[in-house]
Amino acid sequence: MTPFEHTLIRTADPDDADFLLEVYSAGRPRAALLDPRREPVFPSRDELAEMLGSKDAGRNQFFAVEDRAGCVRGFCGLRGVSIEAVFCEVMVLLIHEADHAGPIGRETVQFLLDRAFGRMHLEKVLGTCLDSEPELRALLAGSGFASGGVQRQVLYSGGDWHDIETMTRPRVLPGQGE
Amino acid sequence: MPYKTDAYSRRAERDDLDTVVAWMEEPDFQHFLYGDPAQSPRQVRERIVLMLGRGVGHTMPGGVHLLIDSPGMGPIGLVSLQNISWRNRSCSIDLYIGMKHLRNRTVTAIAVYRSLEYCFDELNLHRVGAYIYAFNTASWRIFEFAGARRELSLDKHVLRDGELHGVYGYGLLREEFDAVRRAKPRAAGFSLQEMIKTLAAEAPESGG
Repeated sequence: MTPFEHTLIRTADPDDADFLLEVYSAGRPRAALLDPRREPVFPSRDELAEMLGSKDAGRNQFFAVEDRAGCVRGFCGLRGVSIEAVFCEVMVLLIHEADHAGPIGRETVQFLLDRAFGRMHLEKVLGTCLDSEPELRALLAGSGFASGGVQRQVLYSGGDWHDIETMTRPRVLPGQGE
Repeated sequence: MPYKTDAYSRRAERDDLDTVVAWMEEPDFQHFLYGDPAQSPRQVRERIVLMLGRGVGHTMPGGVHLLIDSPGMGPIGLVSLQNISWRNRSCSIDLYIGMKHLRNRTVTAIAVYRSLEYCFDELNLHRVGAYIYAFNTASWRIFEFAGARRELSLDKHVLRDGELHGVYGYGLLREEFDAVRRAKPRAAGFSLQEMIKTLAAEAPESGG
């Protein structure tokens, strides 16, 4: 468990399935939850519990984000680690949009960056957000991520096309030393 | 006069397996596309059998792999349409020309163009994407010629020969391809080398 001032971040386990289902059921697609074809998936609670209990969950580094009162506010993780090219993708899945702009969002991203750069010695992290996730984009931008570009009309949802933006953050930000 | 070629696309047969395995084991295939040189020929073969087995014979295939063939020259290359999403009407495309002496020839551009026609006119897709390494200038110039836009640029993203190289993400929407077809009704009536030179002159970036 990693305690921060406003959050406590720990490995997610099967008991968190209800909260994770809430993330999937938020009513709007999230970039981090799309499959490789960029299609939304709708898992059941049982499937999520099984996924959280599998060994893969540990390998993929999937974590629950609790507030200091012990309430699960969302999830985060690292995936797609490229050992060769020393980068990975960060996932931030907060349940409430408003949390992205506050300390919970900032501490979640800080936790992921510490893990990626400090523990795993990666050189770069990526994050993706749909055009329907402006609060996530703002959180990533405020944490040193810069846009790598926008892929247009990759997802059809809610009767409309959606773009996906890939944000990248190097270990050392331009203008900063080690 | 429109350009003509006798090359055409078809589904792979069992007889093609050795050809495709040989292509996928080439260092160039692994350099420009993907693969692991440590992989055994048996694993490569099993992977290809799986790939080619999922074909256009299915009503809604998740991937389509086609051979580019020519009555005069035999199998020329391989086109892979992967991650086909019938919900989003999109896919990603990879192309490998096994006959090296044809890589900078018009047949490569024609193969891309015809593959895109297949995506939009037969599969009724809305978007085709491609990830192309920045050093593979000829490939991304062909996609730009077909109307694709460079949407994504990721620095130091893929390791080749001990160095990290950039990757570009290209996207082509159906309406953009249609606009290219209207603007260039003779399609590929050009020399690929001349096309690359022209595009290089228009956009002086080296692409490395």
